[in-house]
Amino acid sequence: MQTMAALPTGVVEIPATVNPRRKTLASAVGGIVQESGFLYAEKAAMGTLTEMLQSLISEIGRSSKAFCEQAYRTEPVVGDVVMALIDMGISIEGLQAFRLRQNRVVIAAPAQQVDLKQHNVLQVGDKKSHPQHIPDHLPPFPDTHTYCFSHTYKQPVTEYEAIREKAAAQKRDIERALTKFAAKTSDTQNLFFTDDKEFMLVGVTPNSKSYLDALMPRDQVFEEEEERTRTKKRRMVHEEGDPNHEKDRMNETQDAELDNPYLRPVKMPRKPKVKK
Amino acid sequence: MQLEDYNPTIPDAVTAYYLNTSGFEAADGRLVRLISLAAQKFISDITNDALQHCKMRGSQQSSSKTKGKDKRFTLTMEDLTPVLAEYGITVKKPHYYI
Repeated sequence: MQTMAALPTGVVEIPATVNPRRKTLASAVGGIVQESGFLYAEKAAMGTLTEMLQSLISEIGRSSKAFCEQAYRTEPVVGDVVMALIDMGISIEGLQAFRLRQNRVVIAAPAQQVDLKQHNVLQVGDKKSHPQHIPDHLPPFPDTHTYCFSHTYKQPVTEYEAIREKAAAQKRDIERALTKFAAKTSDTQNLFFTDDKEFMLVGVTPNSKSYLDALMPRDQVFEEEEERTRTKKRRMVHEEGDPNHEKDRMNETQDAELDNPYLRPVKMPRKPKVKK
Repeated sequence: MQLEDYNPTIPDAVTAYYLNTSGFEAADGRLVRLISLAAQKFISDITNDALQHCKMRGSQQSSSKTKGKDKRFTLTMEDLTPVLAEYGITVKKPHYYI
């Protein structure tokens, strides 16, 4: 069914929110007009007929309700509707014949539209349920992380087993990392004759007087510091004392400084001999 | 009159809604169908009369030429206005908007 616009040129149709029932009535009118044999219809004619149909239905309803109430009833009956139709001038006899006509256009009732849910693309966490005083038809709570405060730190684990396990894992990791580092930086020895890089051992630095370590047990950290402080005190004493020992002292200090690569004297680049 | 197996062109829900707006609460669904049928017949009578008008106009203008085109009838206000006047409804639509 096609409609011809009756609006003059230049008028732009602004789409307004249309009552869906009105739309259905318009489509029903279109069906009726098509049944009669028309192929096209003017928009003004369609609008007129739709308005007529709506007011007709309302008027029949009002009139039959009035007839019903006039007979001391509240629920309308067939007789009330018949009386209303007669009162309006619509004949009843033609209705039966009209019902049994051949070509009928039936418009399907519009399907119930499902509300498109706004999908939570990112749904993290739970949503709290409504407490008792809030009715269910209200929208649900948002995710708890959006409005509930929670600490960012974790409570420390106090379980003995977990702590032991963590300590053991940490120790293992430290040992592994240290051995790897030592193998890469210092000398390595191979257990097997093949030149693999898998089973490397950290090389042992040979000590000339190996029995000293066995005879004099050393506390690793504190005894080293004591040695350093002793050497510093000796230097201070010798400065006040004989200047003859300066050379010895100088040699000693030089030896100590030479061991430390950062304290070695600067090596100037060799100047090429100018040949004349 | 059996209306259980008859489906009118106007859906029952729409008719029921417009009846409710005027205070008519239909206890039986057949009442709604009866009313929608009556309204449909009313409109159908009007459109049939308008078709007659259109055919009369068409027969006056072209007698033998373009008989294939005569089958395409257009419902215009020119045909509808006198038909509605017969039914007692006066319709006056402006030809142009100022």
